[in-house]
Amino acid sequence: MKSQGAGKGIRFSLLIGGALAAGFCLYLLVGRYPRAGLLNPFSLGQDEIAVRVLLSLRLPRALGAVLLGAVLGGSGAVFQTIFGNPLVDAGFLGVSQGAAFGAALALLAGASSFYAVAGLSFIFALAALWISLSLSKAFTFGGQVLRLLLAGLAVSAFFSALLGAVKYAADPLSQLPDIVFWTMGSLAPMSWQRLRFVLPPSLVSLIVLLLLRWRATLLSLDDSVSFSLGLRPETERALLAVAAAVGVATVTAVCGVVSWVGLVVPQVLRLRSGADGRSAIPLSMAGGALFVLVSDGIARVLFAGELPLGIVTSILGALSFALLLTRRKMELLR
Amino acid sequence: MIRLEAEAVSFSRSGRGELLSRISLSLGAGKSIAILGANGAGKTSLLSVLAGRLKPSGGKIWIEGAELSALSPREIARKLAFLPQIERLPFNYPVLDFVLLGRAPHIPALSLPGKNDYQAARKALAEVGIADLEDRGAATLSGGEFQLVRIARCLAQEAEILLLDEPTSLLDPAHAALVAEQLSSLAKHGKAILFTTHDIGLVHSVADWAVLLHQGSVLASGPTEHPFDLATLKKAFGAEFTLQSLPSAYSQKS
Repeated sequence: MKSQGAGKGIRFSLLIGGALAAGFCLYLLVGRYPRAGLLNPFSLGQDEIAVRVLLSLRLPRALGAVLLGAVLGGSGAVFQTIFGNPLVDAGFLGVSQGAAFGAALALLAGASSFYAVAGLSFIFALAALWISLSLSKAFTFGGQVLRLLLAGLAVSAFFSALLGAVKYAADPLSQLPDIVFWTMGSLAPMSWQRLRFVLPPSLVSLIVLLLLRWRATLLSLDDSVSFSLGLRPETERALLAVAAAVGVATVTAVCGVVSWVGLVVPQVLRLRSGADGRSAIPLSMAGGALFVLVSDGIARVLFAGELPLGIVTSILGALSFALLLTRRKMELLR
Repeated sequence: MIRLEAEAVSFSRSGRGELLSRISLSLGAGKSIAILGANGAGKTSLLSVLAGRLKPSGGKIWIEGAELSALSPREIARKLAFLPQIERLPFNYPVLDFVLLGRAPHIPALSLPGKNDYQAARKALAEVGIADLEDRGAATLSGGEFQLVRIARCLAQEAEILLLDEPTSLLDPAHAALVAEQLSSLAKHGKAILFTTHDIGLVHSVADWAVLLHQGSVLASGPTEHPFDLATLKKAFGAEFTLQSLPSAYSQKS
């Protein structure tokens, strides 16, 4: 027999799952073909172009949105749980900034291939992660959580500065717009081919996070407590952080920097699901996917020209966060 | 049956020298030992070493006959539950979920708690008399209630040895009495308990044996029926003491 809250938890999970399924279907129908608005699903039998738009453009993009949101939401929930800090986000440990620098460097070097940009972005995202982990070990004070937080802060600032230098050196007419657009994030480049590129590492990351979701809850306790419960806290926390960061590095390499999803989605869902990783992590994955689907839907249809996804997620995320702080008591216990 | 044994255990930390020096003790089933001493005497370090969290620089420790250094954290956690003095609560976990965390040593890394684990967690809550709190958020509890919840989490581990670091610190007398009662009851049911404290009432109502630490060494030890002499206490705490009879401290031990 589970606790009283379990029934409510199941209903809430079904609600999020239903909203995600409905959002996915709606996303496929929303767009600018044949005109701005909703595509009539019954017209698909007669409209060959509509079928092609749906299968070649909207479906991979919708799946990409789900993957991007699930990775950012899930990894945000994992980072917040294992560091016992609700203000940590998915780009923590310098991963997003490293990825942004890598992509900008590739664009500055004149790379025109998607794989060159995404590949260099992925390499620098992992490099940032590796530097953060190594730096945290080199610090001679504080516990692992504090050392990682400070190392992540320093590495993020370092790669932000390098990104600034690349922007400064970039040709303002030919290169700078591409770099700026990339750092604002977009699902526009998503295709079946690119989805195949991003899918394996993202799925591995998501599966590891799902399998270890209760261990994440145990790691939220003080290290002395989690050790007394049979864990090796430093090793297991590092393993979960790497698994989450690899997912973030992968989706960021393809879609650019998409902010606020990993911070705000776990915050909002935790209010209803509770903080236990068993529910908070899978729900944050589903909630992140829904948030990105909605944001990208808005980015696609609000104006004639497409808005960068990162702008929409930042506006919605910042508004939700402000609303959360003013309307509900946030779970910030220290 | 000897549950926990330490022989000439020392512990050093770079820059701070030797924090524990050749400490030996033996804890049997159904027995309880109180560790006393001034702040900085080495009480918490001793518990952390005995719990396997800190590696001793000398000596040996056995848990239920097995050498501590040869056991994995999971194996240690199945035999020994450790309650730190203070604990940060990162999120407002429901009490039942919080106590359920004590089942971790019995659950494989990739698995989730099952029906038996929920039963064990509920049993632990009932044992400390707070079964009615299972749906409450742990952050909404009083200090005394939260302390009982933490003890329940230790009990959910189903370990035979309990190491408790100042279990009644920060508690009012009523809650301290409740904790003392629970510890006495656990010892009666065969648990081996070792705790640190500054609470003389707790020592007399729960412990069979007391060990007085001074600058990382055992200054004196003996049964709790016979208090330490005044000169020893003065050396340990650096203050004058007078001997008075206590009012009945907490519950009576058996």
